[in-house]
Amino acid sequence: MRIGDAKQSYEADEAIWTSSTQKFWFAVFLLVLAVFPFVADAYLLYIGCLVGIAVISTTGLNILTGFTGLISLGQAGFMGVGGYTVAWFSLHTALPFPLTLLLAGLLTAAVGILVGLPSLRVKGLYLAIATLAASVFLHFIFAEWQAVTGGMGGLSLPPAHLFGLTFQSDFEMYFIIVPLAVVMVLAAKNVFRTRTGRAFIAIRDRDISAEILGINLLRYKLMSFALSSFYAGVAGGLFAYFYRVVTPESFPLSLSIFYLAAVIVGGMGNLLGGILGAAFMTLIPEMLNLLTATLTPFYPNAPVFMSPMLGIIFGALIVGFLIFEPNGLGEIWQRVRRFFRLWPFRN
Amino acid sequence: MFKRFLTRGLRLAGIGSVAAALMTAAPVLAQDKEPIVFGGSIPLSGVFAFAGVHIHAGLTDYTNWINSQGGINGHPVRYVMEDTGYEVDRSVAAFKKITGSNRVPVYYGDSTGFMKTIASELNSRGTTLMSGASFATALTDNQTYPYQFIPGPNYTQMFGIILEYIAMQGQEGDKPTVAFVYSDTEFGKDPIENGKAKAAEMGIKVVEEIVTKPGSVDVSAEVLKLRRARPDYVVFHGYILSPINEFMVQMRQMGLDTQFMGTFWSSDKLIIDRMGADADGYMGVMPYNYYDSAEGGPMLEALRSQAQKSDPDAGYRPTAYMQGWFNAMVWTEVVKRTLDAGKELTGDNLAASLASIQDWDTGGIIGVPVTVRDMSFPVGRIWRVNAKEASYEPVSDWIHLN
Repeated sequence: MRIGDAKQSYEADEAIWTSSTQKFWFAVFLLVLAVFPFVADAYLLYIGCLVGIAVISTTGLNILTGFTGLISLGQAGFMGVGGYTVAWFSLHTALPFPLTLLLAGLLTAAVGILVGLPSLRVKGLYLAIATLAASVFLHFIFAEWQAVTGGMGGLSLPPAHLFGLTFQSDFEMYFIIVPLAVVMVLAAKNVFRTRTGRAFIAIRDRDISAEILGINLLRYKLMSFALSSFYAGVAGGLFAYFYRVVTPESFPLSLSIFYLAAVIVGGMGNLLGGILGAAFMTLIPEMLNLLTATLTPFYPNAPVFMSPMLGIIFGALIVGFLIFEPNGLGEIWQRVRRFFRLWPFRN
Repeated sequence: MFKRFLTRGLRLAGIGSVAAALMTAAPVLAQDKEPIVFGGSIPLSGVFAFAGVHIHAGLTDYTNWINSQGGINGHPVRYVMEDTGYEVDRSVAAFKKITGSNRVPVYYGDSTGFMKTIASELNSRGTTLMSGASFATALTDNQTYPYQFIPGPNYTQMFGIILEYIAMQGQEGDKPTVAFVYSDTEFGKDPIENGKAKAAEMGIKVVEEIVTKPGSVDVSAEVLKLRRARPDYVVFHGYILSPINEFMVQMRQMGLDTQFMGTFWSSDKLIIDRMGADADGYMGVMPYNYYDSAEGGPMLEALRSQAQKSDPDAGYRPTAYMQGWFNAMVWTEVVKRTLDAGKELTGDNLAASLASIQDWDTGGIIGVPVTVRDMSFPVGRIWRVNAKEASYEPVSDWIHLN
């Protein structure tokens, strides 16, 4: 059991890592992430990169939906803006990937501000529909603005590059995606130690009260949209570099629902939950495929029988989480942590 | 006498035993050779599952059949697949997993999106030749997709075959008029620009062009446009069923005598099953013989017999099954040609073997010998629905584009 964790100052209370144990385990986690590409096979590396992109996008949506309380169904559209921005700059300029990703984030943030304008008037389901409309509009632009987006055929782009180095394989892309994911999650964590982050939370909890407390709703709501869209733009840009092709069908509405589900399953307003939700949503179909593969030697028709079942199992798992742990995977994680912290005593 | 009979009998028995041993040893020797893996990202679930399960059955049955024939040059064939839900990221994951744990010379891709996405990896690996469910025109660009081919005509070529047929129906030099109705998707828009150019080249007037959502139901406004344009033929593309049925029923109710035509994925029995008598006269371009057509041939008979053996109750096998089988047939031919030439199974060698296919007899799967051009098989035939018989009947010869 760990004791004596009393905070002596506000700084200590606000610190990201409040104890040396946390710092130790975070260092171990970083070490595992660093070693992972050297021991993982091609498949696991691919999944690792996919989870990294999902973590960035989910974190962005969590800022908007989980922390500011503004439901968005436009995440796929925002990712599309980022993806096409990176593709366009990669094809027409020689900019290195940090700059194209930054431009993707900034341009998407600008689009996010525009999409977020109705958020001052509408919220809840109405805002969800407004963002859905924006997503449909963006999809239309991707499909029809032939000169810039390549129309329905999309764009194929060259690999990411920096100082003469190209990042083509999953192994190489891992060293862009995962460090960026870590940095962006930490940055998001920091945001909620500032006035801006606390303003987001205040708006979520009660926007009228927040306004009475002196929080400019328009400014902070748009800021939340911009920040969230920045994350989505960077995730979309990484998606473009990772697959090296972007088409309008790369960013379907179902992708927005996927990320919203990841935020809900992980735990709204919980960054760690968002990470767990993104990993859960990405890995579960793969785990279920593994189950099918295990059954196939004993029952050769297992793929045909199991495949439709997988959707049901996947859906049941999500519903199960929502019923039995509405606070999401993040809360389960906290319970597990509490158990070990207080062990051998009951918590 | 008895001793001589016994000696002769023993000698015969000895020869028989050696022969039997050799016969049993042959497959064993074949099994000793390294298996050739057919990989596949297969959509057993998701929106394309209606075709995916039959593609899977076609690939599975072909694999069992080819193994019963001794494999490919004595190499047994192993079919390794994973369900993708028709999602690109899962298709890529399946590809990575399967190619990570097996040496995979040939692979089935479940969508145009996946095949475009995986192209850069295929090109950098240079180990695998890919074909699949896609007939996208873009994939026949050999510069960008040198290791991918189309197991039939691409969509532009399908339009070419349809337009050739339409041109032949003109009387006294008058070319019929045509309208294109297509979905607002990459799939739907694929052949339209090339189709219009081809029509102009052939002197066929495109009198109307209509874009709808795939699966649309309310097409009354579009039907009115077609009523005004009065095309002789309406060519649908980018749909499986709806809104083709809506257009046909409404236009016939208006008394129009327009002929309706479609491409591969909208030319199966589904349209007959759902529309019944209203489907009568609908025409489709199909590169393969239908499972229940009157056509024959050794491979077509083998397919029917294997299909019957694997599932005696299944009855008719859809065109997706034929497509799966034909994909695996082409892979076998390509691998065999490469092995016969004493070359390694690399992407370049496999692609070269594919390009060398000329006047290839497919044993009745396609009714004429076929030649590969630009990584596709630009051949097909126009079939018309006979609703009474609930089947498609050929109304043209096989049309092989040059």
